[in-house]
Order: sequence, then structure tokens, then C-alpha cells
Amino acid sequence: MEQVAFFVGAIGALGAAFAVVIVKNPFYSVLALVIHLVFLAGIFLLLMAQFLAAALIVVYAGAVMVLYVFVAAYVGGIEEPKWDSSPELRIVGPILAVALFIAISIAVLGSGLSALGTPGPDDVPAGFGTPEAVGHLMMEDFLIAFEAASLLLLVAAVAAIVLAGRRREDRKKQLTGGEGA
Amino acid sequence: MSFDAPTIDYAGLSPVIALTVGLVVIVLAAVFDSVRRFGPALALLTYAVTAGCLIWQWNANLDLVSGSLRIDGLAVTLSLLAVIAAAVAVLLAIGDPSETQAGRSDWLALLTGSLLGMVILAQATSMLTFFVGLELLSIPLYALCGTNLRRRESLESGLKYLIVGSVGSATLLYGLAMIYGASGATGFQAISDGLQAGDGMLSDSLTLVGVGMVAVGLAFKVSIAPFHQWTPDVYQGAPTPVTAFMAVATKAAAFAVFIRFFLVALGPLADQWDVMLAALAALSIVVGNVGALAQTSLKRMLGYSGVAQAGYMLAGIVTATQAGVDALVFYLAAYVAMNVAAFAVVVIRERQNGFSDDISTLRGLGREKPLLAWPLTIAMLALAGLPPTAGFIGKLYLIEALVDDDWTWLAVMIAIGTMISLGYYLRVVATLWMSPAGQAEAGAEIDTASLPPQIAGAQADPFEDSRADRRWYLVAPALIATAAALFFGVIPQPLVDFAQHAGDALSVWIS
Repeated sequence: MEQVAFFVGAIGALGAAFAVVIVKNPFYSVLALVIHLVFLAGIFLLLMAQFLAAALIVVYAGAVMVLYVFVAAYVGGIEEPKWDSSPELRIVGPILAVALFIAISIAVLGSGLSALGTPGPDDVPAGFGTPEAVGHLMMEDFLIAFEAASLLLLVAAVAAIVLAGRRREDRKKQLTGGEGA
Repeated sequence: MSFDAPTIDYAGLSPVIALTVGLVVIVLAAVFDSVRRFGPALALLTYAVTAGCLIWQWNANLDLVSGSLRIDGLAVTLSLLAVIAAAVAVLLAIGDPSETQAGRSDWLALLTGSLLGMVILAQATSMLTFFVGLELLSIPLYALCGTNLRRRESLESGLKYLIVGSVGSATLLYGLAMIYGASGATGFQAISDGLQAGDGMLSDSLTLVGVGMVAVGLAFKVSIAPFHQWTPDVYQGAPTPVTAFMAVATKAAAFAVFIRFFLVALGPLADQWDVMLAALAALSIVVGNVGALAQTSLKRMLGYSGVAQAGYMLAGIVTATQAGVDALVFYLAAYVAMNVAAFAVVVIRERQNGFSDDISTLRGLGREKPLLAWPLTIAMLALAGLPPTAGFIGKLYLIEALVDDDWTWLAVMIAIGTMISLGYYLRVVATLWMSPAGQAEAGAEIDTASLPPQIAGAQADPFEDSRADRRWYLVAPALIATAAALFFGVIPQPLVDFAQHAGDALSVWIS
């Protein structure tokens, strides 16, 4: 059962990831990314990382993807000029990608696979990674960091309003200036 | 599992609480027109209450909220410096284009948010509060740099700072993750214990790479060469009140956590990182001082001089002794006074000269307006480290701490850097006092003409203020800071006690 779930998740995640790159329409690309993240969350669930799975869905599949969809809908209709990559870049790019793949493969084969098929390290406390355990950490040990992060969001919102207000004003100026001329 | 609420010592947490309440009130004040004009008063009141809470907790020495924060001498002294810098920034920003265009309450909310990040950072004793505090410090500052909405340079500096700052934060976070991997702990004391308990962890490459990346990340924040390239551009482009705040307060807060993280969490590794930090300090002294020589923009020159000064201060950490920390905190306090005096004069001159900070706009100022020329003269002499100013005593303490700990070559570097720095500090003084006053107008005219095109394209800048040199909120910071730089140069004992209070807080960890 576990193996079936793993392979379904892995094939789904890989297939969707390929689709993100291959599909021409950016809108479908974003949808494929959502599917990829859902499968990935399934794999996290198999690893007993419930909090990570839920956070992945809420933050990435939810918030970040909505942002991407907005961007795709906002600029997607415009025919973009094809980005002309320089010939050097066209050669160096794939070489770097292959090098990175080899490096990661060496790292994975060298260390990660030795733990495959074992239940993992022994000294992990019970309930590690559950939403309950993470919640306790947030509210007990890291309360200050948690609260400070909320203040960070507040000032970031103020900062965004300040900088967005400039664009609004400039556009108003442009419009009135255009009428005058 | 039951919920064990952490014990919260509200007295110890009071500075943070006071600032948070102030921040929320300032944000809310933006909604009501009738309150908005009292923004600066509200901000100053908040800072005064925060300073009061800090002084109330002067002798406190305890961990707060399950070891996330620690209020002690180091936190209190350096937070006070940051609060003073923020109050000065509020005064200097009254009537500044950046504050008016961004909306007064919004501007002040960003400043207060950044200050809150600094106060948290100065108290942080856990990697989580360390990182969140650093971001809370940085993100409002990125926006503040861009608040001079009509000037391209301001927006450019905000964007530049955002990108470079993010690289710094990412590097730092990567390093913190590696140190967590090596020690298995997030609290500073627990990291030190974990590194010592682990088998061979003190010389493991994971630990050392982590230490290196944290040092690089912090070097970005305090603008240590070779991670300083953003500094001159951002200092020049940002609105001057923001530059003043950034130059002074960011250094105080970032050095607080620099001291705490390296001396407490990475204390067992002192023999490994001291050479690395010494090399960074030496490089910073050379690059900053040589770079400043060729500058014609006053703010840009102060940016390079800030790089050099950061190098001097970093030398205090290199020693990993209490004397080194004392010297660093003393120098930081003197640095606040010297820079506030210099930037206040720059703000005044900018408003009278169409927002040009070219050194030539200072010509003949000594004869025309000695009240402006003296603060800038004394600030420059203090930054150069000439007696009888606080800058001289600060350098003396740093060199003494270095020589006592067998870092004579670094002390010699400081002396050499000081010699080079006379070249550009004295050039400013010479421009102030020597050139005939008749050239002043000619110089000013050229500068107005060569001003970069403004986005709005208005003919007369509504923010120019020919009477800026009579506004008390601009002149008072300059005069008080100058008086402080002179006073503590003649009678340094009160400031020495202040600095030793910071050093004593670390007496458990260092000798």
C-alpha cells in the first residue's frame, strides 16, 4: 500500500514537473505546478510530515499559485518577444544543468540511499513534524519569533502601500499631463 | 500534550512592548486626518518611552521568553544608541520630501518598525529571533530608501539595497542552517554547548562553512569590505535622514548581534574565526579609506568612511576580549555622535541647495554660517580621530585592546587607515574654511544645473527651504551631537562606563 502510494506520488510529481516546463501556455504551466505540489504534499504525508504537507498546500498551492495565476492572466495575453539567448549561454546552460544533476546524484547516492528501507534515525521524538508539535514550538519556545514575524508582515504591508502609492500618483500625473498637451 | 505557556517577564520585555504599541498607534494614526500631523510627536514619544524602559532595565541580566531574547548591558546600551538615532531621523525628516511624499505616518511606521527590529536584534539569543529581527530591521529600510519618490536615485538605491540585502540575508540563513546542523540547537548558549559536545564538531567543515557564511551575511549588513559595494550607492541615493539612521542604527544593532553570536554561540571557535575577521577588518579599513579619497559627493564619502569605520569596529570583535567589546561599544557611541552631526549639516545644506550634496556646495560656509560649519568641522575631525574628540579616544581604546591581545598588526592597520582618512576628512574642512565666500554662489549654481532630471519635472522644488539653517529641529541635533563628540573627547569617563556596562554583560563568556 505504502509503495503504491509512493510510486503514484512520485510519478505524478515528476510528470507534473515535466509538464510545467513543456506546456506552451503559461496558464497550464501554473496549473501543472499546482498538481505537482499536491503530489509532493502526498509524499510528505507518507514521510509523516503532516505539517509540511499542509503548509505546502496552503502556502504554495494556495497563496503563491494564486499570485502566479494573476501574473499569468495579467501579462499572459501579450505576445512576448522570444528571448534571444546568446550562443555561449545556449552551450553553457545545458552543461551547467547536467553538472548540477551529476553533483546532486553523487550526493544522493553517496549518503541518502543508505537510509532507504530503514525506519530512519532513532532519536526523533514521538510526534515530530506533526502540526501539534510544530504548534507547541511556535507558541512555547519561539513565541517571540512568531510574534515578530507578524509585525514583519505588518510593516511589509505598509511598505508595499507606500511604494504602490507612488505609481498611482504618477499615473494620475501622466493622465492629467496628457490631457493638457 | 498540554500547553505550557512560556513565562514572560513583562518588565524585561517592556522596551519591545513599548515600541510595538507605538508602531501600532502610528499605523492607526494614518487613518485619522486630525492625528496625522502629530506623527513626529507620537514617534518621539514612543522612542522616549522605549528609552525610559531601557534605562529602567539598565541593570537587568536575564533571559526572556524561553531564551528567545536576553536583556542585559549589551542589549540596553546598543538599543539606546539605535533609539537615539531613530529620534534624530524623525527630527531631520520633518519637512523632508521623502517623508511628505510617502505619507508622514507611513514613513514613521516604517522607521519604527525598523527600530523594533533593531531592539529585538540587540536582544536576540536564539537563531530564530536573530533572523526575524534582522528581517524586521531590513525590510522597512529597503522601502525607506525608496521613499524619495520623485528621485530616480532614491528608487534605485531602494532596489539595490533590497537585492544586495536579500543576498546577505540568504547567505546568513544558509550559514545559520549549517550551524544548526552541526550543533543541533538554536539558542546561542545551546549552540556553544552542542558544538563542544559533538565529536570533532569544532573543526568540522560543516561548522566552519556555516561560520563563514554567517560572517559574510553580517558583513553585508554592517558593510564590511568586500561586501560593501552597495554602501556608497545606497547612502547617496537614499533620503538623507534615512541615510543617517541607516548609517548609525543599523551598525549598532548588527554589531550587537555580531558580538553576541560570535562571542557566545561561536565562542569555542574563537581561534578559528579571529583570523578571518581580522582579515576582513584590515581589508575594510584599506578599501573604505582609499575609496573615500576620490569622492565628490558628501554622502558617498561618508558611505566609504562608514566602511572604514566598520573595519575599525570589527577589530574589537577580533580580540574576543571584554576590553575589545568595551572599545567597540565606545566607538559605536562616538560614531553615533559624529555621524549625526555630519548628516544633520548635510540635510540642512541639501535643503538650501536644491538637494545637492556635492562637497563644493560647502565652500565658504565657515564665514557665512559658522553655526553650520563648526558641527561639520568637528564631526570630520572626530571621524578622522583627532584629539580632543570622542573619535580619538575611541581609536585609542581599540588600539589598546588590540595590542593587549597581540593583534599589533591590526592596530597598525588602524593607524595607517587613520592617516589615509585625513586626506578626505581634511579636504571637507578645508573647503569649509579656506575658499573665499565669493565662489560659493558660483559653485551652488553649477550644482543646481547639473542636478539629475527629476521625475516630476517641477521648476522650483517645493521642498527647498532657504531658512533650513534656522529650524531648531535640524540645528539642535547637529549642535547636541557636536557637543557630545567634544564632551566625551575631553571627559570620556561617562561614556567609558556606558561601554563597560555592555562588556560586563558578556563577562561569563569572555575574559
